[in-house]
Amino acid sequence: MESFEWQQATSFENAATSATHTTTEAMLGTQGKPVASQAMLIKAGGVDLLDLMKEGLVSPRRLIDINHLSEFQSISEDADGGFTIGALATLAQIAAHSGVGKYFPALVQTVTAAASPQIRNRATLGGNLLQRPRCWYLRSPAHHCLRKGGEHCFAYAGDNRYHAVFANHDGCAIVHPSTPATALLAFQAQIKCVSAQGAQRVIPIDDFFMLPSRDPRHENILQAGELITAVKLPAPHPAHRSAYLQLSEKAAFDWPLAAVAAVFVIDHNDICQQARIVLGSVSPTPRRAQEAENILTGAKIDPDNARTAAEAAITTATPLSGNAYKLPLLSALISRTILKAASCESPHERLL
Amino acid sequence: MNDNTPKHHERLSAGMAHLGLDQVTREISDSEPPALAPNADLNFIGRNTPRWDAVGKVTGAACYTVDVQLPGMLFAAVMRSPLPHARIRSLDLAPARNFLGVRAVVTVIEALSDGHAPAVRYVGQPIAAVAAETLAAAEAAIKLIKVEFDPLPFAIDIESAMRSDASTIYRQDEAAHIPVAGFPFVADLPLEGNVRGPSKREQGNVNDGFSSADFIVEETFFTQVQTHCCMEPHAIVADWREEGLDVWMSTQFTAGVRAQLAATFQLPLSRVRVRAQAIGGGFGSKSQLGQYGKIAVTLSRLSRAPVRLVYRRDEEQMDSGNRPSSQQHLRIGARRDGKLTAISLHAWGSAGIAQGAGVGDIAMALYACPNLKSLQFDVFTNTSPSTAMRGPGNTQGAFALEQSIDALAEKLSFDPLVLREVIDLSPVRREERRLGALKIGWAHRKTPGFDSGSIKHGLGMAQSLWMSNVQINSACEVRLWRDGKVEVLSSVQDIGTGIGTLLQQVVAEELGLQPDAIGVRIGDTEFPSGPPSYGSRTSASITPPARSAAWQIKNALLQSVASHWNLDPQQLKIQDGWVQSADTPPRRIPWKEAVRTLRTDRISAVASRSDDYAGFHSRNGDSAIALNDLGGVQFVAVTVDTQTGVIHIERVVAVHDCGRPINPLQIESQIHGGILMGISYALLEERIIDPHTGCMMNPNFIDYKFAGPSGLPKIDVMVLENYQGLSATDAYGVGEPANIATAAAIANAVYNAIGIRINTLPMTPARVLQALRDANKGPVDGIF
Amino acid sequence: MSDKTHKTGKDQTKPAAEILGPGAVSMVLNVNGVSQSIDVEPRTTLAEALRTSLNLTGTKVACNHGACSACTVWLDDLPVAACSVLAIEVTSQKITTIEGLSETDHLHPVQKAFIEHDAVQCGFCTPGIVMSCAALLAHNPHPDAAEIEVAISGHLCRCGTYPHVIQAMLSLANKQEGNHE
Ligand SMILES: Cc1cc2nc3c(=O)[nH]c(=O)nc-3n(C[C@H](O)[C@H](O)[C@H](O)COP(=O)(O)OP(=O)(O)OC[C@H]3O[C@@H](n4cnc5c(N)ncnc54)[C@H](O)[C@@H]3O)c2cc1C
Ligand code: SF4
Ligand code: FES
Ligand code: FES
Repeated sequence: MESFEWQQATSFENAATSATHTTTEAMLGTQGKPVASQAMLIKAGGVDLLDLMKEGLVSPRRLIDINHLSEFQSISEDADGGFTIGALATLAQIAAHSGVGKYFPALVQTVTAAASPQIRNRATLGGNLLQRPRCWYLRSPAHHCLRKGGEHCFAYAGDNRYHAVFANHDGCAIVHPSTPATALLAFQAQIKCVSAQGAQRVIPIDDFFMLPSRDPRHENILQAGELITAVKLPAPHPAHRSAYLQLSEKAAFDWPLAAVAAVFVIDHNDICQQARIVLGSVSPTPRRAQEAENILTGAKIDPDNARTAAEAAITTATPLSGNAYKLPLLSALISRTILKAASCESPHERLL
Repeated sequence: MNDNTPKHHERLSAGMAHLGLDQVTREISDSEPPALAPNADLNFIGRNTPRWDAVGKVTGAACYTVDVQLPGMLFAAVMRSPLPHARIRSLDLAPARNFLGVRAVVTVIEALSDGHAPAVRYVGQPIAAVAAETLAAAEAAIKLIKVEFDPLPFAIDIESAMRSDASTIYRQDEAAHIPVAGFPFVADLPLEGNVRGPSKREQGNVNDGFSSADFIVEETFFTQVQTHCCMEPHAIVADWREEGLDVWMSTQFTAGVRAQLAATFQLPLSRVRVRAQAIGGGFGSKSQLGQYGKIAVTLSRLSRAPVRLVYRRDEEQMDSGNRPSSQQHLRIGARRDGKLTAISLHAWGSAGIAQGAGVGDIAMALYACPNLKSLQFDVFTNTSPSTAMRGPGNTQGAFALEQSIDALAEKLSFDPLVLREVIDLSPVRREERRLGALKIGWAHRKTPGFDSGSIKHGLGMAQSLWMSNVQINSACEVRLWRDGKVEVLSSVQDIGTGIGTLLQQVVAEELGLQPDAIGVRIGDTEFPSGPPSYGSRTSASITPPARSAAWQIKNALLQSVASHWNLDPQQLKIQDGWVQSADTPPRRIPWKEAVRTLRTDRISAVASRSDDYAGFHSRNGDSAIALNDLGGVQFVAVTVDTQTGVIHIERVVAVHDCGRPINPLQIESQIHGGILMGISYALLEERIIDPHTGCMMNPNFIDYKFAGPSGLPKIDVMVLENYQGLSATDAYGVGEPANIATAAAIANAVYNAIGIRINTLPMTPARVLQALRDANKGPVDGIF
Repeated sequence: MSDKTHKTGKDQTKPAAEILGPGAVSMVLNVNGVSQSIDVEPRTTLAEALRTSLNLTGTKVACNHGACSACTVWLDDLPVAACSVLAIEVTSQKITTIEGLSETDHLHPVQKAFIEHDAVQCGFCTPGIVMSCAALLAHNPHPDAAEIEVAISGHLCRCGTYPHVIQAMLSLANKQEGNHE
């Protein structure tokens, strides 16, 4: 790891003013030469950033530490019944939060499935959403690929067993690395940001992540000098229920091969009024399975339509040379998650 | 051998203890201690004595090589090839040499004598190295080294390396310089293109054997490259001084490294000292001095300062050895009654740029068969050199053999265990099968693919075989001090197998003291040369001389007390910390007083490994193969999710033999380790090389996956007490046999679950789904 | 569990935006109850600082990427991977390493149980696993097998000590039950 300067930010605004680049931009280069060797970057838990720096993938001039700032470390219940999770809340904090656990069980399932207890004690939610993809070509200093400012993607002709099966033909085939993002999209979370000028914006998570077709070099729309302050979970529908399942090669401590989060609103007659199904680890962004949602909306969920929905969800997939296996696996996972979500109790049941 | 010492006949226990023991009579030298009673009659041997070095390990006090800090120590970094195959047109070390803090720079890659430009042959091959005052300076300096390459075509896998148009990795005249991957290795085989071999073994006539067969099974199996993943990386601190060379090294063989250092740097053995106090795993990869060892010593010699070289995890994964890949074409013929008529094996393996990628002898040795033929080839690829890895050869070989035997059983309509009763002559394996089958509930095993749902259960088993190695060049000293303290000393190192505990137990048993009263001083070549910690040979090699030395010390002490009392030493014995006489009333004095009768402050006895009492099967230099074999039988229960391709291992039953077990709990620990490594080999592990750049894509613990503590099966271990009357302790090894059968047993269980053979490792969800699709057995909806 | 996972000990006051480094910076680390000053660069990880500057080599580095947990120490009683934390960022937190787990000559119950159940082979991963196990017991004296499995799920042990680690921990959980501790 190259040496760097250390700045303890005094506030989020102060950090925003000091930051010159996003980590993504600072990693861009031509022929391995970084565009921005003078970058001043935001550091939260540091788990991903230090990893990138140890590999020499980014060598900032300065780190601006926000992790010690107390303002956005907590999780609070909002007046409307939703929750606001500070960007600096750790995954362990979210996992242990009883309110979030009660109303957003699928979210808690994603955070407890992510990484290890040691990492969860350090990893912040903001940093988790902004961590760079796990594509091993991206992570290899020897491969100057498109997403790092190079000419082409190594994954297409190389080993792409863990890459995307959807939206993967626009120059880059990463899968989004954030496990919690899968559930956050299902719960229609909003990303709250602040910029150097102190301007706040609230971005629906549907608009936050970007597909390669829009920009193959950035995973999200965050600008340099813009910080995530919090993630807002809107008040859940009183009759909603949710579930998350993931499948990985190792029993724990392994990024998934595929993941599914499902949130349903199911009425007294067992009819599914609303469905949000999100697929993780199969696309450059967490992906809504709208085909599946449409099949289930207005229906009484059963194993047959769960399977039909699962099949519909994967029809548009375009697997690469080495990852077609993900499709049957994903299909099974979708129908299992649908059935699990439909059969679990709504946290609000008593209120109805 | 040429042993002229007087001999006598001795009756020793033989057989499996739980079935009742017999006796064998052996002619043994008078210098050997008397027969050791079976474990049931002993105080410490056969008991679960706590590990000698456990306190240091649980408190963090244990000193590993990575923890050694010497005054004035420099830090080394290695500059490595970014290309898989190239000639080096020019190499400019000057910028590194001039970098602030750099004290020595060395070229690692050697120019060939005939004037050819030196070649790099794999990504990560060391080219040059630097020693500097800080690690950061060393790492910065190697980035400044300028190299110009002329890239050459390359091949990273067996198929492409064997193509007729493949670029050759070695010319004929380079054949003599090809590094050796370790075991198994046969020297002086022909080289053609990138293929070396075959190493051949033949017995009877396989063609005749196949024509007399009623049934033949024939299949090709593929195994991947596995890396050792020692938690402590390769590490050395070398200190070249006027008086001699002092080395701390994370090694499996201090004495061997000393010999290699002496030879490489032309130093007398007496001027080289190698120490390894605590060693964070080896599994075969730390058996040799290795290139990294030479680099550190050279840098120390040049800089006249201690030099520390510790591999980063990515260097460790990329270039510290690995288990070779294999392709095995196995054909087995049998008669209707199950008797085997012929086994033929064609194997190709790649140890990267090294030679010695064989799949072992298990297909030729495990079962009775009159006609055998094996042809094994090394295929050179532009990947890093392999080294021996836990059960080298046989682990790959068992995956093919044991699946084929199961396939044969099915063709014959035999239960896999019934077929093995017919073809396996070993009474020990038979007993292991019986015990294991009972424990796992083999009687409830269903026909392949029996379950109707998408989660299918399966039960499988496989056998393991390993040769019983003994290091003849093994010695041990026991010291008795006049204050009553006892020490056991040898250069043997404890890589986590617990050999130090065994030494305590053996010496304590002989001297009637508590094991924790025996001081253990090992892992230092200043002490008598001990064996390596590889080849499952350590216990077999060092516990007999430890017992002999302790016995000599006991005799000396009794002699001393006897002359003090004016008695015949024959009339004295040691019991529970007392020396007492046989006369009436008995005279007795406590240990503390007995030792005060010694004439000098300290007495010492050194014993070396004598030949096995019944001789050896064969002998080669310092190493011999005993007459017994080592093995075990493993049973596995799995479920296979046919929708997701996920294999879950629910239960493992492992029944093993290792002669006389000295510390059952430590043996269980080692067997756990073998099984877990086998599970990872079967399901997770794979070195992944990018076909277009030759780079290892998973040189870390995130993408190179091996089993963690989650979702583990229930593991039952049973260890036979199998006496053979072969040495002063009759103890043999277990580390490798524990690893050999696991992947094969899992594959057989998977077959039992889904009725499809998976011939390729690792059996990832992707492979299982692929196999199901190829067999048209699901996934139920035929999606891809 | 819940009250243990909130962040404690973080500097609640807002310091001035001082810029330190890139060269060595003087700082004070509170390790095992003792405040110690060291001079290290901002890029120095906590694991490195402990091992090199403070000579506390019981904390082991095996992957240096957060992937094996060999380097586990406690930051204000929470187990973290010391290889993915910088020394400079934890100057106001309480750090506990394996050396500080028990007083000299007294083994922590986890350490004793590890010895008794032979949950140690080469021992390189062991200090880290001990730290995770001791952290679990500190807030959950009677963990069941599943809770133990989660607590150690970040650890890699190539020697395969996991079954004995779990046995050792279960023995403690049960023993404490009997003693009503
Ligand atoms: C071994 C291992 C396994 C893992 N497994 C998983 C897994 O299964 N699932 C999963 O989801 N993750 C996993 N992770 C990733 C881990 O969760 C992330 O690295 C972590 O969440 C990053 O958070 P951080 O606070 O440490 O971020 P940092 O490393 O501090 O920051 C990450 C990036 O975000 C930027 N940043 C951080 N906070 C802000 C902010 N508030 N505003 C603007 N920019 C910001 C930084 O500049 C940096 O570019 C794993 C990591 C490891 C090492
Ligand atoms: S998938 Fe994307 S990140 Fe990976 S190599 Fe291709 S362009 Fe780079
Ligand atoms: S060394 Fe820190 S997690 Fe592996
Ligand atoms: S005991 Fe060796 S790695 Fe765990």
